[in-house]
Amino acid sequence: MNVTETAADGLKREFLITIGAADIDAEVQVKLKDLSTKIKMPGFRPGKVPASLIAKTHGEAVLGEVLQQKVNESIQSTLTEKNLRPATEPKVDVTKAGKGEDLEFKLSFEILPEFEPADVKEITLEKLVAPVSDEEVDTMLKGFADQRKNFVAEEGRTAKEGDALTIDFVGRLDGEVFEGGSADGVDLEIGSGRFIPGFEEQLMGAKAGDIVKVNVTFPADYGAKELAGKDAVFDVEVKEVKVAAEVVIDDEFAKGFGLDDLEALKKAMREQIERQHDALSRQRLKRDLLDALAARHDFEVPESLVTVEVQQITRQLGEGEGEGEENEAVSEEKQAELRDIAVRRVRLGLLLAEVGRRANVQVKPEEVNRAIMEEARRWPGQEREVIEFFSKNEQARAQLRAPIYEEKVVDLMLGEANTTEREVSLEELQKDPDEDAESAAA
Amino acid sequence: MSELNHYDIILSPVITEKSTAASEHNQVVFKVPLTATKPEIRAAVEKLFQVKVTAVNTIRTEGKTKRFRGRIGKRSDVKKAVVTLAEGQSIDVTTGI
Repeated sequence: MNVTETAADGLKREFLITIGAADIDAEVQVKLKDLSTKIKMPGFRPGKVPASLIAKTHGEAVLGEVLQQKVNESIQSTLTEKNLRPATEPKVDVTKAGKGEDLEFKLSFEILPEFEPADVKEITLEKLVAPVSDEEVDTMLKGFADQRKNFVAEEGRTAKEGDALTIDFVGRLDGEVFEGGSADGVDLEIGSGRFIPGFEEQLMGAKAGDIVKVNVTFPADYGAKELAGKDAVFDVEVKEVKVAAEVVIDDEFAKGFGLDDLEALKKAMREQIERQHDALSRQRLKRDLLDALAARHDFEVPESLVTVEVQQITRQLGEGEGEGEENEAVSEEKQAELRDIAVRRVRLGLLLAEVGRRANVQVKPEEVNRAIMEEARRWPGQEREVIEFFSKNEQARAQLRAPIYEEKVVDLMLGEANTTEREVSLEELQKDPDEDAESAAA
Repeated sequence: MSELNHYDIILSPVITEKSTAASEHNQVVFKVPLTATKPEIRAAVEKLFQVKVTAVNTIRTEGKTKRFRGRIGKRSDVKKAVVTLAEGQSIDVTTGI
């Protein structure tokens, strides 16, 4: 085997590799011999087929196989010998190959850049912390209480805003009963806005047993096209008028959630809000860290990776827009913008990988399993299938592993960086520092 | 006999263990029509492969009688020709004409 470096430009490497014909031939002979014991041919007993015949019938296939194997072997050995780490699958360009000929091929690939990650200790970060206010807890409690509202029927009451009515109704369009316009025993809360505008208002003041004629006009943008913008008359029979029972937020209410008392419920809610805040603040912190890192590094990135990334972003954008047609029309300006984002992503990806490699960050199988379980929980009823899918599909597992790895590396770096805490309001925490850079956080 | 008819005489080579063994003795085996005669075979082989033939032996193999769903059937008869070539000459039967 003869390896010559033909080009080394930036991250690009090119090698010309030649393998002698004798080498290949020897390998082919070994293979053919091996084959002759297995092969079956009409007119011959197994294992009795003459070698010359096998060489004639299977020689080409065996040669191809051997060439393939030789190419792979030589790539491996070249890479390990020269101590290179390719960024992508190396590209092979066979220039000469054939029976009785030397094998000659061009190997081109891009290597991963060698760089020194910046010292994380020099990075100063500000962690935004938003304390949970009592009002927030109260708002959340109120929301819960509203959902649990109870309605109690009351004799002789006239319907008011906030009351619930049990009604039967028949809808008519120009005197004709139309489909989907009639129902029995429907519960309708006045003021909930669930029905066509105007419907609920006209029921105000009705009593149980009343029959009310309701005249409404369907809105122009109504879901059912044949009804949109039409006038309709509903004969509504009010069966019951129910009053919303005031839900008292007390220990009893908390027990409905399976908790001991109101304090416990409040505490649980506070914790939940805190978790949300933490997640937000971590997101901000992570973005700040990545921003800082991106600003500190300026090493060259492999072109091939950038191209792949650009394609991926374009595809994602295309999905967001629903149709892929507009992709064709992506302007030059947009292209350049995409490229910048891609370069940044690739660079950060490489950087995180490098930092992780140096610190020997590893994702444990248990962590992957936990992620699989979480993923499975998102598909109720199909948990088993999801788990099976992941346990069989190495690639899918790798996809779960990647974010875990990233998080671990980020954790590691956050631990080393100078972090100061600053208290801010929730609004400030939620505010996006720069809307345009949202993709950068990925 | 015209050259076209020569192609009708040589139907196919017979490639088996036995025929490969025969090639050691400078013999080649062909499948020929039942009607082919030794002189015709000699002429065809000499013309098509550009070799000198010293002898032609023929074998008629009767097709076996086989039963299929209780009915009697018969496989086709086959005529084979073992052609001995002059010293130093050979035919590569696997490449075809």
